[in-house]
Amino acid sequence: MIKIPPYLKKGDMIGITCPAGYMIAAKAQACIKTLQSWGFEVMVGKTLGSRSKNYFSATDEDRRDELQAMLDDKNIHAILCGRGGYGVGRIIDQLDFTKFKKNPKWIIGFSDITVLHAHLFTKIKTASLHAPMASAFKTGQDEFILSWKNAITGKKARYSCAGHPFNKTGTATAELVGGNLSLLAHLTGTPSDINTKNKILFIEDIGEQIYNTDRMLYQLKRSGKLDKLAGLIVGRFTDVQDTERPFGKTVYEVIREIITEYDYPVCFDFPVSHEKENYALKVGVNYTLKISKTKTLLTEL
Amino acid sequence: MKRKDFLTSIIPLAASMNAVANGKAAVSPDQPTTIPPYLKKGDTVGICCPAGYITAEDIQPALLKLNEWGFNIKAGDTIGKKDFTYGGTDEERVKDFQQMLDDKTIKAILCARGGYGAVRIIDRLDFKKFKYNPKWIIGFSDATVFHSHLNQNYRIASIHSKMCNSFPSDWSKAEPMQQETIESINKCLKGEKMKYLFTPNEKNKTGLASGELVGGNLKTLESLAGSKSDIQTTDKILFVEDTGEYLYSIDRMFWNLKRSGKLEKLKGLIIGGFKIKKDDAGEEFGKTLEEIVLEKVTEYNYPVCFDFPVGHQKNNFALKCGVLHTLGIFLNECRLTEA
Repeated sequence: MIKIPPYLKKGDMIGITCPAGYMIAAKAQACIKTLQSWGFEVMVGKTLGSRSKNYFSATDEDRRDELQAMLDDKNIHAILCGRGGYGVGRIIDQLDFTKFKKNPKWIIGFSDITVLHAHLFTKIKTASLHAPMASAFKTGQDEFILSWKNAITGKKARYSCAGHPFNKTGTATAELVGGNLSLLAHLTGTPSDINTKNKILFIEDIGEQIYNTDRMLYQLKRSGKLDKLAGLIVGRFTDVQDTERPFGKTVYEVIREIITEYDYPVCFDFPVSHEKENYALKVGVNYTLKISKTKTLLTEL
Repeated sequence: MKRKDFLTSIIPLAASMNAVANGKAAVSPDQPTTIPPYLKKGDTVGICCPAGYITAEDIQPALLKLNEWGFNIKAGDTIGKKDFTYGGTDEERVKDFQQMLDDKTIKAILCARGGYGAVRIIDRLDFKKFKYNPKWIIGFSDATVFHSHLNQNYRIASIHSKMCNSFPSDWSKAEPMQQETIESINKCLKGEKMKYLFTPNEKNKTGLASGELVGGNLKTLESLAGSKSDIQTTDKILFVEDTGEYLYSIDRMFWNLKRSGKLEKLKGLIIGGFKIKKDDAGEEFGKTLEEIVLEKVTEYNYPVCFDFPVGHQKNNFALKCGVLHTLGIFLNECRLTEA
């Protein structure tokens, strides 16, 4: 059974840390103000706006120690990752989830944070929140930022989006898992690898070559992650790259082809992405996915 | 007497049932590899495109050289075929490769080039006949799929080397290094015991080790993790190379090797050429390739070397995957020797 961390109420504290790439403090200001305006306390870690001179927000040790402190601190009720980038995979095996298991809290983020979502789901059996990170708050409280607030305060989500010609219609109710495709592929074979059997899987990605996306999907397929799904949610693939000799298929065509043989429902173009349109999704929580040719509905149970 | 008959009849059955129950290939990953017969003059080499496309013209330099070495050539139907980036559709590539696997007169299959595509056809290839009549499969980069798949599932050796697109069009103008690497394919195919001396790197971890040589393109190895082509590296000497990857991505791939248990029980680690994609401005990774590798293996005692002449570069020597080698990494000398 997946444990659902307690939802937040006014006065609860959200910790912000950068477990991966570097982020300047200014980029998180709108987020901090918004969280405060919603009635939450905010604690900002030193990894945000640090003096780091390289790619990472801080050394492995400092990133690990800060995340560990936030995991263990009972006064912190949720942890928002400032940004993704790359770096969680370098510290994941050094984190101690003993206290967290007794006092689970929401861990929020996406992209590189997929490592945490997968690890929490597989090893710690705790739900987490795949949702916009600090810099996404600067353009105001749109429906995606509000979905973040609703998710963290325990309001059940009900998302809908337009149909897509590639959709495979049907209905499925199951636990939701997923995240960034590159990270899901990269985690294959490691202790954080997710078992997708009877789950609804969602995927999104950014900046990948189409051939590489094809290869990653083959990896998911050949490692048994696609054949027994309850359903598949294909998010957005942003900033798609192509080779000099064109690959000849779009990413969605690549995905459609690889799932031809399966009967489960599949929707395309769902608003989960590296763009503005990125609904908060609870990894490890049950949802009903209802897909028709004209509409997709994802309802939290 | 009767009892003896009974026993001999059930042993193979039990063995095969065990293999089925494990859901694994019927070949144990612990058994020694089969070395396909080496080639002699007059033997035929098949050339085909399991991945990217190549023109008939572009394989000419390879044809000439292979002829010169005394081999006949059978160019497959996929040579000159083009389906966008691929050398023909998946079906065409499967058919061509399958024919080459099954044709007893073909003693080796040279992949015309890499690119991307082997993983799309690997599960559709039938290795039944090949298993009983193994032959050398030759290539690198995307062809790492074959090396890994054959090693893991059939325990059959293969050759990691340059492909048709790397044969110089004018041999006389090719650098000696380029000539040497191409000639190393001929030596491998004819059964010469291979020996490679290379320049020590001050970051090397010294030591002496013996084990089966496995490896290939790092990205391809990572993309096979969790699949039935995933390679087991216990007690082996692993070599890796890559091209066009960011340092962060190389770091992530080494974490995949480590976290999936592929670095822990190695006999030795060989780092070949890495063409590194420059960090984007403001996203400097801050670690060198050597640092990335060494921090993953600090707790292990096996030898580790850098700058081995294998990779997407001119000095890319032919290596026999699945064959026992000795790796000697010393301060003033580095060598890899076929046992």
